[in-house]
Formats: sequence, structure tokens, C-alpha cells
Amino acid sequence: MTQALQLLIDGVLSGGSYALVALGLSLTFGSLRRLNLAYGATAMLAAYVGAWLHAQYQAPVWLVALAVVASAILTGAYVERLCFASPRVDPTQSRGLPVAGADGQEVVALASSFAIWMQLEQLAVNLLPRHLNTFPSLAAAQDWQLGELSVRPDRLLIGLAAVALTLGLAAWIERSRAGLSWRATAELRIAAHLVGMPVARLQAVGFACACALSGLAAFAVLSLDGQVTPMFGMWMLLKGLVAAMLGGLGSIRGALWGGLVLGVAESFSQELWGAQGRELCTYGLLLMVLVLPWQRLRRGPLNAGFA
Amino acid sequence: MLEIADLATAYGKIQALKGVSLTAKANQVTCLLGPNGAGKSTLMLTLAGILRPQRGSVKFEGEELVGLTPAQIVARGMALVPENRLVFPGLTVRENLLAGAYKRRDNVAIRSDIEAMFARFPRLGERQEQRAGTLSGGEQQMLAVARALMSRPRLLLMDEPSVGLAPMVVAEIFSIVRQLHQEGVSLFIVEQNAHMALKVAQHFYLMEQGSVSFSGNPGELAADELIQRAYLGQQRAQRSEP
Repeated sequence: MTQALQLLIDGVLSGGSYALVALGLSLTFGSLRRLNLAYGATAMLAAYVGAWLHAQYQAPVWLVALAVVASAILTGAYVERLCFASPRVDPTQSRGLPVAGADGQEVVALASSFAIWMQLEQLAVNLLPRHLNTFPSLAAAQDWQLGELSVRPDRLLIGLAAVALTLGLAAWIERSRAGLSWRATAELRIAAHLVGMPVARLQAVGFACACALSGLAAFAVLSLDGQVTPMFGMWMLLKGLVAAMLGGLGSIRGALWGGLVLGVAESFSQELWGAQGRELCTYGLLLMVLVLPWQRLRRGPLNAGFA
Repeated sequence: MLEIADLATAYGKIQALKGVSLTAKANQVTCLLGPNGAGKSTLMLTLAGILRPQRGSVKFEGEELVGLTPAQIVARGMALVPENRLVFPGLTVRENLLAGAYKRRDNVAIRSDIEAMFARFPRLGERQEQRAGTLSGGEQQMLAVARALMSRPRLLLMDEPSVGLAPMVVAEIFSIVRQLHQEGVSLFIVEQNAHMALKVAQHFYLMEQGSVSFSGNPGELAADELIQRAYLGQQRAQRSEP
């Protein structure tokens, strides 16, 4: 019983990290209706800048965090300009079809963001050629003991931050004027133009926010691990994608639920069947979401948007 | 109020507008009739700033609009009710109206304008928290009109407001057009439903294959003859003779 509870706690806490990772990905999809394959690589390169600052100049943790978020935004701006910058509206495609952006541009964005992914990964390897680089951690990892249960305080902090960020962001998007214009732009770009919204700027800002979140997520996860490798980009994209899709891609609160489900499932399957069983479970979950005609997922991209 | 001169727009190599010139006067309902593919919607999207014309000029109250962004054009006081409504399907009715007031900053007046819209369109008022995608076609058309009105336009452009709607709903839409006209809003309407359009319009233009082929006042010409010209291609048939 205690062991199961411990597994649950561990799962929920790592689920917090997954949620944080999924948040930016879901936000990008929610505001652009496009998948950003360079998502993980952007955050990884930003993390490398942080690790480099730490190794070269012994930069303090807060400065590293700031540098990671700032570099993620900068790198993200580069990715956005190249892959996602809003093209001029083509009414031959969007006119009369109140369907969210299913157009040829999506394929272009997907393919070009894959190319950028490879480019950014190579850039990170050139910056710090060693495979494994140390990353500063938030605090001395002394576990808190609660009877037989133990909790890592920094993990708890990150889990709580994930919950607060998700709920805050979701509420802001639902209630604020800026959130309304984001949702409107994501739903029907041409109509957003017609009511006078600066569509390109709104999307660029949304993208930048998503990148800032990805930087934050990268910092949080890496500070727990204490190290960063070039594989981190891939890890982030995969876990983020699974968590985001579990909760309905494009849905903000869904990212939190997806992250938690993934975290708990992984924690239990790891205990029961080991590391390979855990991976199997992750992809099993993804497959299940894709195959089962869940209402949640169906609603996801089209209607729920930022719900 | 709106003066269009020699406006030409193309989609790639397809020349949709081949030099359109027409005028919509203030405090009038001006109608543009014409068959499918004549370029009517292209003209509307060009006026709204969504499409960039190759040449020509669009003057609104004396000011050149070509080159301005859609947002700047809305801010100048001209709003488009697009073809097929294009309401935001996942936003509620109220949110759609709020989106329509995006360029305004007078929050108190926006709120009272929304209430005024609900008074004008009671069915929207009943469904204000419903997602716009769940509304019927007629309700969506009303919402599209209300959303455009939320920017407080002096000239309202309407692209095929009656398309796909039941006759009773069409009559309702045109009674709203009449109401708006009486309230001092100028209207420029693109329509296929010539009978309805000629009842509300003070002036009309006929468009064929990317240019204006005829203009006049309703009453000068029997409606049937006009419709024949517009849709049965009499002019085209005459023109093709050497």
C-alpha cells in the first residue's frame, strides 16, 4: 500500500514535469494549428546555452534559468520566422470553409521545422561537444520524509508550478481580451483579419510565449536530472507530444491532465515491468489515444482550442 | 462615400477583377449583382484589405484604402460581413460580438452595444452563451451582421447575405438591411438574389467576368430583364458575335 502510494506520488510529480513540457507544445498547436517539430530542439539548445554559462562562468542558478528562457524565446523567434510566420491569407483556400487551417502550409511547416530541429541539434553539439554536460540543480536534493513516504522538494515545487501555470494560463486565455483574440485567430484567421485583429503579431506572440514555456520546462526537468545531452530535444518532443495528445492537442488544461496520466502510468509500469515496460506503456497510451474515438480528442483541435 | 476606380486583382494567373469602377453613395443601399465567378467576392475581399489589388484605387470618404491592412480599414469605419458568415465557431455568441469590437477601447459602450445587438436580434440574445458553431445558418448570418456592426461602421459591406438560407430568413435579413439603412448606415451588398436586392437597393451594378457591365436604378429596367442579363448571359451572347 505504502509502495503504491509512493509510486503514485512519484508519478504525479514527474507528471508535473511532463505537463510543463506539453504546455508549450499545446499552446503552439492551439494558436497556430501547426505542430512544431523543432519544439524540443529549441528548448535543448537553450538549455545548452544555460549549461555553457554554468560551466564557463559558474553562473548562478537563477541566471541560468533566465538565460535558458531568454534563449528559448530567441531561438523560437528564428524558428517562427522560418517555419510558421503567418502567410498572407489565401482566400481560395480559407473562404467558405470554417475549418481550422487544414492547408498545404501545414506540411511545409512540419517539414521545415524538422529540418530546423536537426540544425539546432547540431548547433548544440558544436557548442558543447561532450555528450554529457552538467546542469545546475535548483536546491540540494535532500528528500523530505513523511513516514515511509519521501518527496523531493524541488520536484514538488516544479509540480506545483506546473499546476499553477496551466490553470493560470487557461483562465487568462478564457477570460482576457488578448486570450479572446488568440482563440479567434486560431479558429478562423480570415475572420480575425476582418474584425481587425493583427493576426501575424498575435501568432508571433503566442509562439514566443510557447517557447518561453518550453525554456522553463527544459530548465525544470534538467535541474532535476543535473545533466543535459543532445538527446534531450527528442525526449522533450516525445513526452510532450504524448502528454499533449492524451489531453487533447491544443487544450491547455488537457496538457496538465495528459502529463499527470502519463506520469502515473510510467511510474507504475516502470515498477511492474522495468524500463522497457515503461516505454511500451508510453507508446501504448499514445496509440490508444490515436485509435479510440474519444470525444475529448475529437473536440481538441477544432473546438476546444484553448479550453 | 466609396469610390472604386479601375480595381484589378488576381489569384496567381487567374485574373478575377479586370478593372472595376463603381461608386457607393452615402446613405444609400448599393447592390452588386452578377453570376457565380463574376468576381464579386474577390471585390469584397479586396475592399476589406484581405487581398492586395494589382492596380486601381479604393477611396473611402476621400481616403485611399489600397495598401492599408484589414485592421486599419475596419478602424476607418468600413466592415465586411463575409460570404458564408465565417463566425468563430468555437467562441460563444457573446465572444463573437466582443471580437467584432476588437478595434474599440470604450468598454462601457461596447457592453451597451452588445445589449443593443441582443435587442435587435432577440434570437442571438437567447443563445448568447452558446457556441456560434451550433447556431442555424440564419442565426449565424445575424451573428455575422451583428459582429460587423460591433465595429460601428459607417459603411457595411455584405457578401451574399442570403445564400443558403430559407426564404423567410432571407426576408428577415433584408428587413434588417432596410432598418440599418433607415438608421443611417450606408450599405454595399453583393447578391445573387436579384429580386430581393432590387427591392432594397437605390442603385445597382451588374458584374460579369471581372468587370462591371451595367448599372442603373431599380425601376429603370424590368427586374426580369435585368435578371436575364445578369444570369442568362444575354450580354455575353451578344458580345461573342463578331
